Amino acid sequence: MSTASATTVARNPYAEQTPAPPARFLHGLNPIAKLAAPLPVMIALLVTRGVAIPLAFTVLAVALLLIGARLSGRAIAVLLIATPVGVALLGLSLGVWVDPSRVDAASAAASVVLVEIGDWRFTLGAYLIGLATALRIAAILMLSLIAGLTTTGPELVRAAVQNLRVPYRIGYTALAALRFVPRFGHELEVIRAAHRVRGTDGGRGPVAAVRRTIGYAIPLLASAIRHAERVALAMDARAFGAHPTRTERTISRWRPRDTVFVLCFWFISAAIFAWALAAGAR
Amino acid sequence: MTVAPLLELDAVRIRYQGGGRATPDGVSLDIRPGEVVLVLGPSGCGKSTLALALDGLVPHAIAAELDGTVHVAGADTRERSVAELSEHVAMVFQDPDAQIVTGTLLDEVAFGPENRLVPAAEVLERAERALKLVGLWDRRADNPDVLSGGGRQRLAIACALALASPVLVLDEPTANLDPAGIDEVYAVLRELANERDHAIVLIEHNLDAAVDIVDRVLVLDAAGRLVIDGPVRDVLRGRAGELLELGVWLPVSTLAAMRLRAAGVPIDPLPLTPAELAAALEAIETLPAPAPDPASVPAASAPAVTVRGCSVRRGGRRGPVVVNEVDLDVASGDFLAVIGTNGAGKTTLLQAIAGVLPAPQGTVDVLGMDPSRADARDRAGRIGFVFQNPEHQFVAHTVADELDLGLRLQGVAEPERRDEVERMLRRFDLAEHADRHPFLLSGGQKRRLSVGTALVAGAPVLALDEPTFGQDRARAAELLDILRALNEEGTTVLVVTHDLQLVADYASRVAVMQDGRLLGVGPTAEVLAGPLIEAAGLRHPPLARATRSLVRHPEWQSVTRMSQLPGRTAA
Repeated sequence: MSTASATTVARNPYAEQTPAPPARFLHGLNPIAKLAAPLPVMIALLVTRGVAIPLAFTVLAVALLLIGARLSGRAIAVLLIATPVGVALLGLSLGVWVDPSRVDAASAAASVVLVEIGDWRFTLGAYLIGLATALRIAAILMLSLIAGLTTTGPELVRAAVQNLRVPYRIGYTALAALRFVPRFGHELEVIRAAHRVRGTDGGRGPVAAVRRTIGYAIPLLASAIRHAERVALAMDARAFGAHPTRTERTISRWRPRDTVFVLCFWFISAAIFAWALAAGAR
Repeated sequence: MTVAPLLELDAVRIRYQGGGRATPDGVSLDIRPGEVVLVLGPSGCGKSTLALALDGLVPHAIAAELDGTVHVAGADTRERSVAELSEHVAMVFQDPDAQIVTGTLLDEVAFGPENRLVPAAEVLERAERALKLVGLWDRRADNPDVLSGGGRQRLAIACALALASPVLVLDEPTANLDPAGIDEVYAVLRELANERDHAIVLIEHNLDAAVDIVDRVLVLDAAGRLVIDGPVRDVLRGRAGELLELGVWLPVSTLAAMRLRAAGVPIDPLPLTPAELAAALEAIETLPAPAPDPASVPAASAPAVTVRGCSVRRGGRRGPVVVNEVDLDVASGDFLAVIGTNGAGKTTLLQAIAGVLPAPQGTVDVLGMDPSRADARDRAGRIGFVFQNPEHQFVAHTVADELDLGLRLQGVAEPERRDEVERMLRRFDLAEHADRHPFLLSGGQKRRLSVGTALVAGAPVLALDEPTFGQDRARAAELLDILRALNEEGTTVLVVTHDLQLVADYASRVAVMQDGRLLGVGPTAEVLAGPLIEAAGLRHPPLARATRSLVRHPEWQSVTRMSQLPGRTAA
């Protein structure tokens, strides 16, 4: 059966983690705590400007991950090298497109010209605006990785169902739906090959692309609906949804250390904001 | 038997909403503890629908009308929810992929009992017992994705067992599996059948695998009426002719014996398994000489496909080598079957030959064309490819357009195109469906259309990937008869398949693959009688299994296909 052999799984998103050493404290926290702690900061970051605040939170998140998460060598390299390089490059490309009127003409940075081509000038002020945006994106990404790199799918669903009282039907259906993703990836690959063989993938430009996408969508949807129906029947046959609750073999606890983590995180975050605002950054 | 029945069906008729006639139609029967019951019937007779009614999915979860009554442990299924009924009846479905919900084997088996609020300690106990029974306890922490098809279906059986229901209903549990997977699943089922703890209702068209574990057979006719209900040996032996007329497939050994009987060889009673057939043949003093193998390709015909030193990796340059240094020649007019276990590289080789996957330049030649360099138009004119799932291949909105498209690609003018489409529609018996959407066709029609789309451009070579996968034997035979007709008209046919009896009966030559390498190619009879089958980790098809151990009739040892038996087909 070709489907079975083709769905090789690179990383198992479901596997229970082997117990992490106590120093890697992020793995021992409730997933809800790891989401709740950075969430207000992520929202606040959307409205900040300037470089200092997002930079501080990027550093904070990376530091937390390096200390508290069990990371592969590759992940550490990405965090420490790829992140700053990415931010610098993204800042540059965003800065080039900054509307010059947004650059405060009175500031010192606006008069420092980095590159000048004919009439067009790329000022330090424009670069700093671009950099601030790039840093905001990086900070939000890194903060979301606190939960993302240290939580498995089943842990998150368990915590959502047990601690947040999300109906288990939603939680476990979402988990079942996660299984669809690699399946559809493989299916799409086959459908594209089939269209290539039939010679219907020709043509360039947006119109042909849209037509092609529709051509892929119909067989993909048909098989998705059929698959979903079958999964639903199989779940029904195994008494899914029989009772308002279900047996939980693993209890997801909200422990004092979760409260401590959230409060500390909020306190430090508030301190960073207070310090930055007092120092004049906005 | 005085034990109260676990299931009681009275005059059960089921009609799908918006569907035509009711199938099943008026079925009444009882299932008692410890029974192992096989349900047979031609496709469309409502076997699977009947299975869905046994645990209340019909009428609760599926939009269908149920007349008559189904009682489970004394209670009317209409008045109980599917969840309550799952305490009495557990289901195993056809598609192993569509039954997996969670991320580890242990969680998966625990899923059902957890839904029923069984205390955690008992959930674990049941999960351990069920996983040990199917031989997967050591892999409990694995993701079900890494199991083979047979492994996943064994997992589905463990999940059903963990529900601790006295009835187990299995709906074509091996239809999507390769022979190794089928053996795995039946090893588990045999153990369950021997324990007699469960009543087992088995819907299966692969009688060769099922026949020696069941006690009782129920047969539905095409209209969905229950026509036969009796002990398996009495029914299959005593009413074999009747079953064939109903369109029910019989074990290969039984079919072979019927054909021999018709030729005057006294075999009584009819054998049901290869071992029984072998014993029956050994008991006879003199057998007529087997018919000569007619399938010999006209010698010295020009090669249609030449493969030289072809290696293909899956998933880019760093991916694993799936096809390794394969050399293969396919003569024009051949009917070649490529066989091997899962992951042997059969499909990849076929796709490389047809240009679906790029092969290294110059390693594949199809009638003077390198498929990895040719454009779609040239390729479609020389080789047609039929995917395992016909729906993947459909790109147009009507059946006629689907065929028209291939001709347009070749630049055929409008009036000729219309005639040619007309001709293909008649050829594949689709004329009355010309304006329907391809997705609305029945399974067999879809399959015929997909073959038509691959051939319409006039390709003299046709490549098919597991064309009989997940189909019942009747539909598989229908398709293979079409292929045989095409082959007799001169089309070169290449097919990847798991069904070795079909290979034995249709292919003129067989290529055996293992771990990406081609172990050997040869005439069908030679390959099936030789050591390659076992070397590739495959099992001989039923007829070969019966004949190859014959001591008394050495000239029969190489009989592998029905057409080699003296006499005419029994049907």
